[in-house]
Amino acid sequence: MVFRAAVYEIHSIEQLLKLTALVAAVISILILLWYLVRRPPLGRLTKVMLLFGLGVMPLGVALTGNIAGFEYTLKRPFCGSCHVMLPYTEDAADPSSNSLAAIHSRNHAFGEESCYNCHADYQLFGAMTTKVNGLKHLFYYVTEYANTGPYGEGGKPIHMYRSFQNGMCTRCHSTTAPNWLRNQDHAGMLDDIRKGDAKCVDCHSGEKIHPRAFAHGGKGRGPVAEAGQKEEHK
Amino acid sequence: MISRLTIRRLVLISTITTLVSLGLMVMGIVFPKPVLLVLAMSLGQLFGTLSLALYLLAIVLDLQGVGEHDDIGPHIRLEGEAGEEETKG
Repeated sequence: MVFRAAVYEIHSIEQLLKLTALVAAVISILILLWYLVRRPPLGRLTKVMLLFGLGVMPLGVALTGNIAGFEYTLKRPFCGSCHVMLPYTEDAADPSSNSLAAIHSRNHAFGEESCYNCHADYQLFGAMTTKVNGLKHLFYYVTEYANTGPYGEGGKPIHMYRSFQNGMCTRCHSTTAPNWLRNQDHAGMLDDIRKGDAKCVDCHSGEKIHPRAFAHGGKGRGPVAEAGQKEEHK
Repeated sequence: MISRLTIRRLVLISTITTLVSLGLMVMGIVFPKPVLLVLAMSLGQLFGTLSLALYLLAIVLDLQGVGEHDDIGPHIRLEGEAGEEETKG
């Protein structure tokens, strides 16, 4: 019954992979516990059983678990796992927010992967460099931000490793759509935008993308506890 | 000197290491927090690979017939030896 209920709860490949990994882990653990409790002689059957318990099943757990894990790291709840990111992720997930992050998050093409879609690198090894930067984030979080306030108050101001590149916007906003070109500012700076001389974030600034986070001290400002309280009272 | 007991110990260490590795990997799947995921994908898989290598080493040693004539006590005899004793009895 439990297994049947679990199967009905599967709505994505990630969940299917997780279930597969857990089933493989349970089979492996049962085989290993059988060996540890019974201590059978190392005959052919025992060797084959142990090969499954020590090799095949754990490899399955590692493979499916890795893919499921990497899939989960693309999602907004994962970014919000570190509490200093909550002003960013809560705003993005807020259906009543009109910030750029929230508007993009409501777009089905972004959905729960809105953080990753806008902040990941897109070169050949983009996914790799993004994950390496993620490890850096984790290191800084554990060493510098773990004991900060509920929204990171008391911690150093959060900033990006490098300025936001136009390529992250023009990947979707191709600069050729008639609606986009109808905007006089866009049309007037078309070449500069395409060359990267004019940054998208010069006009669509951080305050418009992540207003709640900026109220909490993003981009060089010290986090302010009252900012969150004021916002919550609204 | 590698004995039959060494092979049994290698398998035992490998079994326990695999359990630790599975524990870490399952934690990463059930509670996908950044630290647990990193532990699952690094230490978990390191332990898993190590334990598989130890098990394969034990199997290779066993197939080479290392310590076949060792007296290793009644609780760790081979299947064949146990069968022979029952026949004798």
